[in-house]
Amino acid sequence: AYGINSILYQRGIYPPETFTRVQKYGLTLLVTTDPELKNYLNNVVEQMKEWLYKCIVQRLVVVISSIENNEVLERWQFDIECDKTAKDERRVRVAPREKSQKAIQDEIRSVIRQITATVTFLPLLETACAFDLLIYTDKDLVVPEKWEESGPQFIANSEEVRLRSFTTTIHKVNSMVAYKKDSFP
Amino acid sequence: MEDLENNTTVFSTLRSLNNFISQRMEGVSGLATPGSSQSSLQIQYQQRVQLEEQAGQIHSKSQLLQVEREKMQMELSHKRARIELEKAANTNARNYEVEADRNQELLTRIKQYQEREAEAENKLKEQMEMNKSYKKSMETMSKKLQEKESKLAEANETITILKGKISELQWNIMNQEMQMTSQDSQKQELMEQLDVQHKKWQEASQQIQTLQASQSLLAEYEQKIKDLEQKFSQQEHDALIVKNMKAELARFPKMERELRQLREENAYFREMKENNGLLKEEVEGLQRKLERYEKVQAQLVTVELENEKLLGKLKSWEKLDQSTGLNIRTPDDLSRQIVALQQREIVLKEQNSTITNSARILEKARQQLQEEILRVQSQLLDEKKKREQHEALVRRLQKRVLLLTKERDGMRAILESYDSELTPSEHSPQLSRRMREAEEMVQKLHAHNTELEAQLAQVLEEVGNHKQRAEMLEVEMKVLKSQECTAEQSTVITKEEVDTLRLKIEELEAERSKLEEENRSLEMKLEKLTLQGDYDPSRTKVLHFSMNPVSLAKQQRKEEQQQLQEECERLRELVRVLEGGGSVPGNLEGVGSFQSQEIA
Repeated sequence: AYGINSILYQRGIYPPETFTRVQKYGLTLLVTTDPELKNYLNNVVEQMKEWLYKCIVQRLVVVISSIENNEVLERWQFDIECDKTAKDERRVRVAPREKSQKAIQDEIRSVIRQITATVTFLPLLETACAFDLLIYTDKDLVVPEKWEESGPQFIANSEEVRLRSFTTTIHKVNSMVAYKKDSFP
Repeated sequence: MEDLENNTTVFSTLRSLNNFISQRMEGVSGLATPGSSQSSLQIQYQQRVQLEEQAGQIHSKSQLLQVEREKMQMELSHKRARIELEKAANTNARNYEVEADRNQELLTRIKQYQEREAEAENKLKEQMEMNKSYKKSMETMSKKLQEKESKLAEANETITILKGKISELQWNIMNQEMQMTSQDSQKQELMEQLDVQHKKWQEASQQIQTLQASQSLLAEYEQKIKDLEQKFSQQEHDALIVKNMKAELARFPKMERELRQLREENAYFREMKENNGLLKEEVEGLQRKLERYEKVQAQLVTVELENEKLLGKLKSWEKLDQSTGLNIRTPDDLSRQIVALQQREIVLKEQNSTITNSARILEKARQQLQEEILRVQSQLLDEKKKREQHEALVRRLQKRVLLLTKERDGMRAILESYDSELTPSEHSPQLSRRMREAEEMVQKLHAHNTELEAQLAQVLEEVGNHKQRAEMLEVEMKVLKSQECTAEQSTVITKEEVDTLRLKIEELEAERSKLEEENRSLEMKLEKLTLQGDYDPSRTKVLHFSMNPVSLAKQQRKEEQQQLQEECERLRELVRVLEGGGSVPGNLEGVGSFQSQEIA
């Protein structure tokens, strides 16, 4: 959720005065104060947690599209590789698998820092934009009540950049950002 | 003094000599005769010379004496000088002592004076310090004085200011007193005026009462006037209304006509709009048809190209018929031929495989037989070796038997000889000695024999081993030669297989490299697609929250757009109405006020 908030703040999707500062992972991060947005994010994050625990989620995508012409301008993609054997209780604890909390926080911090840094080379978002959160899951999953299926929201003429990845004891997260190539560079 | 006397004698002698010489010279000069003069001259010359020598001596003596006299004088003077010097020295010493005493006194005085000076300096310093302190104190005092003076001055100034103020205040007091008096006088005057005014007021009140009465009358009259005016205005209004109505009535037919015209125009515009819509639909239909036709054309072109390619292929296939000479006219024949060829190929391959299997089996049998042959040959060799060993043993044993029999014979002979010798004579010790020697010799010979036999046996064994090895090698050589012969026959067959296998390997490797390149390119594409966000629809699906911000934003946008469109339509109607110049209907007024609110 902190990564999503950072993206919303950095890209100016919502006005900066609607964000407030909190301390997390050793960094000062900005989270929104808009109640409707917070409610939406909480709903999504709760569902994501449940699915992550069951290792059903494959990918989380933050899609930024222009309101006027529905054109997708940016796509922030987080691929999640889940170690399904971690669920097996009979598994023998292998030492290298365990990772300290601090190391995980350091990696998350570096990813959030990289999100902030990538803003420098992304093209400016001139028009009013809105964002959407897409979750790629297993095909046989039961779709919950408030959720629906959607398209993948590709960008037509895109430029992609791979960012850092970080691992916890169970998951590995690869992050990348795709943006629409400017017609006039 | 003796010297002096000597000197005087010397001088006297000198004078006498000189006189003599002068006399002699005169005498000599007067006597200038030639003859006897010569000897007298000589004698005179000699005398002169002697005299000159004496003169010289005397001169020198006189000089000496003078010098001595001078020396004496010098010594005397020296002594005098010394005495005088001593005196002077004494006097000087005394003077020196005196002066030394004086010096010491002076030094003591100087010290005293220096001490006094030091004291005086100290006192001076102290005095200076005192002076400085006094000066400082003086300065401080002066500063204080100055401060006090300044304070005094300030105080004086304040005093003057205060005095000034006092004077002003006094002046003010005076003025105020004056004013008081004037005001008292004014008050009295005002009081008098008040009385006058009071009287006037009473009169005025009486007048007011009369006036009020008159005013009420006036008000009544005014009301009447207003009523009349209202009636008048109403009448005017009614007249205006009547006029407007008349004008409107006059306009009515015009309006009706305009209405009809507008309706006709409306209908016409609607028809035009419908026609436009229809035309647009037709245009779109035509454009779509155009696109379809263009696509069809493009397809036609591609189909024609394919057709040409196929015709070319057909022709080449037909040419094949002529080139291969296999009675082919249709592709069916070709396919049949190919099928037949493939069947033949399959049959041949089966035969090939059976033949190779049988060949392998035969080779295995051959190898087994060769191994058996080798084993049998080795057994043969072992048995040969054993036989030879046995024969050698037999020979050795025979030789031993012969040797033993010879020994026995010899021993018998010796024994007989000993027996024969024993009976005649009893040379027992010598005989016994000889016997022992002979026995020892025999034993040595036995031992030597046994050693030789053992060596012989070893050598024979080695020889046998070598022979066995040689025979084994010969056998192996024969086997290898036989194998070579067979291998030469088989290599001829297998070279072809090897070539075909090599070709197959090369083809497979080329295919592998191509497949690897394809794999790499596909992996790159996959990577790119995953970066772009592609997914496998058979395994994943994409979900999002129904109430997501994009949909909310879209809804808001739609609502805004609808509102704006409605406003736009209302404004257009307003404009039309205003352009028409009629009265503004009520609902449009609301829009106008809304618009004015928005502008505000």
